[in-house]
Amino acid sequence: MPDDVLGNRLLAVLAPEERDRLLRGATSEPLEARQVLYTAGREISHVYFPVSGMISLVVKMTDADDVEATTIGNEGLIGTAVILGVASTTMEALCQIPGRALRVPTRAVLEEIRRTASVNRLLLRYAEAMMVQLAQHAACNRTHSIEQRCARWLLMTRDRVASDEFPLTQQFLAQMLGVRRATVTMIAGALQKAGLIGYSRGRIRIVNGRGLEGVACECYDIVRRVMKTVTA
Amino acid sequence: MLRRYSGDVVARLEVNRLIAALPSADRQRLLEALQPVSLTVRQPLYAAGGPIKFVYFPLSGVYSIVSIVTDRDTVEVATVGNEGIVGISVFLGGRSTSDNAFCQVPGDALRMRAARFREEVYRSRAFRTVLLRYTEAFIHQIAQHAACYRLHSIVERCASRLLMTHERVNLDEVVLTQELLAQMLGVRRATVTAAAGMLQRAGLIRYTRGRITIVDRKKLGRASCQCDRTIRREYKRLLG
Repeated sequence: MPDDVLGNRLLAVLAPEERDRLLRGATSEPLEARQVLYTAGREISHVYFPVSGMISLVVKMTDADDVEATTIGNEGLIGTAVILGVASTTMEALCQIPGRALRVPTRAVLEEIRRTASVNRLLLRYAEAMMVQLAQHAACNRTHSIEQRCARWLLMTRDRVASDEFPLTQQFLAQMLGVRRATVTMIAGALQKAGLIGYSRGRIRIVNGRGLEGVACECYDIVRRVMKTVTA
Repeated sequence: MLRRYSGDVVARLEVNRLIAALPSADRQRLLEALQPVSLTVRQPLYAAGGPIKFVYFPLSGVYSIVSIVTDRDTVEVATVGNEGIVGISVFLGGRSTSDNAFCQVPGDALRMRAARFREEVYRSRAFRTVLLRYTEAFIHQIAQHAACYRLHSIVERCASRLLMTHERVNLDEVVLTQELLAQMLGVRRATVTAAAGMLQRAGLIRYTRGRITIVDRKKLGRASCQCDRTIRREYKRLLG
């Protein structure tokens, strides 16, 4: 079995024999930037448990550009629909920051859920936390300033990649926040001037995490707390 | 136990589409645990931070699920009608909730104590399957709302919400104050007044003293962002 499995927080809290059974047919795979993990409307063949990197869930719109609904990292899994007994979803899962994930055949996940009530309960708790996270982000989009959302997004990403520095283009950040690139340039500039972040050649460095938390809306804290309860 | 119900309610039991999707033996057992209740506008069904005491199966009316942001503002993240239940987190294992649920358009519902609901979930595989699929549809709804909030104009969203509310209550006239509509759409009241005014001037709706009448449904559909239609399609795909 790959030795990085404990880097995923859901896998880490399973009992060793549950984990062994679940991962029998699994492979540890690199996730590349822009890699599509599943497509809207297509059957989800594998569930991914990230150990690093970050993945976006994207809503496909018919009349506009795609919109990021939320992000997932090593606290979760890609393929909640499988847990819910549904073969495909209307969203797309897209890798945003490269990393690694355990890739588990859908059938193995379904078998383990059926077999072990505690695994089923854990994954349903995760589905609920995911729902709360989506709702919080929906409300956040509506209510909070771009500056607050930008700070939240950077902090969430930092937690996921477990590093204060990560690759990020302004264009990409603009897309994630659903704003124009010029707006992101302005906000990143202000955060940089305030000594909270450093930015050069497509890399972001969080210089003052505490300060950035002060700028972020409370959604950062709320979602982090909710996710913690899943594996608590 | 059946005598607790008027014949009317028993006949209407299947108006809730989750219940209708169950085999009749499961339906019959649920019936014994369900009590009919009428809900009035703004009546809370559960509140953030506390335990959820009852799970509601709406037969009519519209119920709003709102997230609380910055301690004061609430933003609607989903609505529930007779296609669903209010209290899904009881099914997913939550003992308390971080959102609020209240009645937006008055109606009737059947409700069940949360503890009993957990027993029924444990007992019935068919019930579990339906609730899992419902959860997926509900997640889709929240994500679609999030995208809609970001992309669509207030007029488009207003038209879309009016149509959906109209379909749910199945009356051309919907009783809805501007304050409620503002909360639904996550904007200030003055903004709703302006949006409703535009729809009214274009001859799509009529708005007087908290009553909205839909005058031209076709045109209203064209003016809407259609996100609610997308949401309904996904419910249909997953739950029939």
